[in-house]
Amino acid sequence: MAEERKSLIKIKPKRYKDGEIVKVSFMVMHPMATGMGKDKKTKKIIPAKYINSVKFVYNGKEITHMTVWESLSVNPVFTTYMKINGKGKLTVTYTDNTGEMHEKSKKIKPRG
Amino acid sequence: MQRREFFKKLGTATAVAAVIPAMSFADSASKPTGPNKMDFKTAVETITGGKKPIKSDKVHLKAPEIAENGAVVPVTVTVDSPMTDSNYVKAIHILNGKNSNARCIDVFLTPANGKAMFSTRVKLSGTQDVTALVELSDGTFLIASQNVKVTIGGCG
Repeated sequence: MAEERKSLIKIKPKRYKDGEIVKVSFMVMHPMATGMGKDKKTKKIIPAKYINSVKFVYNGKEITHMTVWESLSVNPVFTTYMKINGKGKLTVTYTDNTGEMHEKSKKIKPRG
Repeated sequence: MQRREFFKKLGTATAVAAVIPAMSFADSASKPTGPNKMDFKTAVETITGGKKPIKSDKVHLKAPEIAENGAVVPVTVTVDSPMTDSNYVKAIHILNGKNSNARCIDVFLTPANGKAMFSTRVKLSGTQDVTALVELSDGTFLIASQNVKVTIGGCG
């Protein structure tokens, strides 16, 4: 069911220590259609297709979750902070209003 | 190469086409379907459960004063908070005053975030106030707003 969407998790800074608070961004190519737009050629309403929920899970623990409404921009970006607490994995998952689901993971490797 | 291409594509805005009257509001708080319709005042009341939010300079709302393209307006909310288990920011809600659905995003944080901040890009239908409504772990609500002038509306 899930289309192959290009997505990315970015952590800043790239090198971090345990206990450090880093900036984390999740970006994905998604149309984020509000359901109010009209196709310019066919004049038909483009059905709503937008990400409606996002979860950030770090080493099995949910650290952030979001309820997303239809007014986020196309190809949305979700940026927040995260405290580094051990080696492991950050997994971001989203669903959209049509039931599409997508998951992206990134290894967490603190130095020192 | 692929990575660079990817970032280039992300930077290119694709504006949503012409506005059509919105359909009825779908009552699903955690996973919206829709389009939805809700005015600003109702959105605030729904989020706070009727509690009055307090204007606070602990809430730092960063948005452009003039947005060239209403389809891609960067918004960043930062809140001064120790983010400890006993004192942290529970949620950052972003509201767009004049969009047909004033609700934009509800971000639920935990102490594991370390710092209370959320940043994204939003669609604004026209010039309006962007508002950050913040819920603290003690149940109080803080609020901050900023007017954003939009030259090209985000809905076409």
